[in-house]
Amino acid sequence: MSSLVGRSVGSLKNVPIKPIMSANPTEARRRVLTLYKQWYRAVPKIITTFKLPYTKERLQNRIREEFLKNSHIRDVRAIDMLVIKGEMDLQETLLKWKQECHMKELFQHETAIRQPTDFLGKFFSQK
Amino acid sequence: MASKMTTGLVGLAVEAYPQKKLKILYENILKTVSAMPSSAVYRKYTETLASQRLKDIKETPDLVQLEEKWGAGQLEEVIEQAKSELTLARKMNKWKPWEPLVTAPPPGQWDWP
Amino acid sequence: MFLVRSCTRLARSRASYCAQSHLLKDGTKLNSFSKSDYSSDVTPPTDQIPAVRASSSIVRQKLLEFGDYVAECLPKYVQQVQLTYTNELEVMIDPEYIIPVITFLRDNTLCQFTNLSDLTAVDVPTRPCRFEIVYNFLSIPYNQRIRVKTYTNELTALDSICEVHPGANWYEREVWDMYGVFFRNHPDLRRILTDYGFDGHPFRKDFPLTGYYEIRFDDEQQRIVRDPVELAQEFRKFDLSSPWEVFPNYRQTPELPSPPEVSSEEEKK
Repeated sequence: MSSLVGRSVGSLKNVPIKPIMSANPTEARRRVLTLYKQWYRAVPKIITTFKLPYTKERLQNRIREEFLKNSHIRDVRAIDMLVIKGEMDLQETLLKWKQECHMKELFQHETAIRQPTDFLGKFFSQK
Repeated sequence: MASKMTTGLVGLAVEAYPQKKLKILYENILKTVSAMPSSAVYRKYTETLASQRLKDIKETPDLVQLEEKWGAGQLEEVIEQAKSELTLARKMNKWKPWEPLVTAPPPGQWDWP
Repeated sequence: MFLVRSCTRLARSRASYCAQSHLLKDGTKLNSFSKSDYSSDVTPPTDQIPAVRASSSIVRQKLLEFGDYVAECLPKYVQQVQLTYTNELEVMIDPEYIIPVITFLRDNTLCQFTNLSDLTAVDVPTRPCRFEIVYNFLSIPYNQRIRVKTYTNELTALDSICEVHPGANWYEREVWDMYGVFFRNHPDLRRILTDYGFDGHPFRKDFPLTGYYEIRFDDEQQRIVRDPVELAQEFRKFDLSSPWEVFPNYRQTPELPSPPEVSSEEEKK
């Protein structure tokens, strides 16, 4: 996904640009909002099916964060691609193809043990 | 009475009157193809093939001899091939592939770096 | 030994089958395969002489003629036809018109490429469209193979060929998963090889060989943990020729610098 960010593919090299799904930014925006609503409504179900030890608001905020991470993207096709991936992700979640660990990875960065970055800290922590 | 008990191929039944069926199919192909411009290469080849096969059907009444002459498997298989050729010809009329190239590749696309 | 004998027998029965067949016998010369093409050029195998493959110039000629036939029938879609040095026919087509070309190859009586043997992609980042999508087909009646190639980039969707060849379903899922090429109208496009929650497409050339995360079992926490990959050593660039076998046509062996000349004085010592 990182390769999508900040690059308008094709415009440089004389390649014709064709839309994937949305024809204009308004349509793309509507798709993003629809997807966001779907995720938002699925939150209580996600919490019960995956037995997550988090409140509804916390998961909602986390989903919001994930969406806002890509808020700088302006290329309609890149947005479409991310929406497609988001839809697939939602399907994996709601049909319970994912497992608890996959959902908990969303919160891993908060509970991860901070690795020391200084020289001595690294030296002491090595096994 | 059919000439054989089975084709030996799963899902492919023995055809009682294969020549009759083939004749209808190839005539249909010729009719479909005639809508294309006469310069179309596909039309040229398909017409040659279909009219040749029609001629063979008229000349050779014996089924085994006909199969040997064409060498394309049993007549039941030839019928399947002719059916797909007919659907293809109809689709080709819509697609019009005899027109000149629509998009040239971007420069350097097929070069190996 | 038994195997060799049975193979020879198989080849012989094949040759006799070839000899019987004629596609168009009269004056019209058809620029395509017919089963009788090889029969006059090939020595019929006996118990002493095994079946011999037709000399490659004949095969090349027939393949080129067939390539011309496809290109002439579909001038609207075919950009280029070429033959590799191992006598494999390649047809380069316009990415907008994959379905017409592949339907033609499947349904035409003179092609009958009814078997999709492989579908994959190649990532060549320096090209205008970085992904090359490769379709390999097998024509069972004519025992011939063809390779259809087309191109796309990260943000251009291609048509799915599942309607024409249902077997393409999982191949396209794999290409989607590994390269991130989106296929339009695919019945069930989702990941096939990577884990849920996996980010990125591993077969892209810009995906690091080590990946972004490493997964290991942690003894202290008694569970599997996912850590960002941290290499102990900075990535080193080796200035050697590629360890993979590249195509000989394009193989360029870098000239090694000549070894420094040892002066005669040092030799004496």
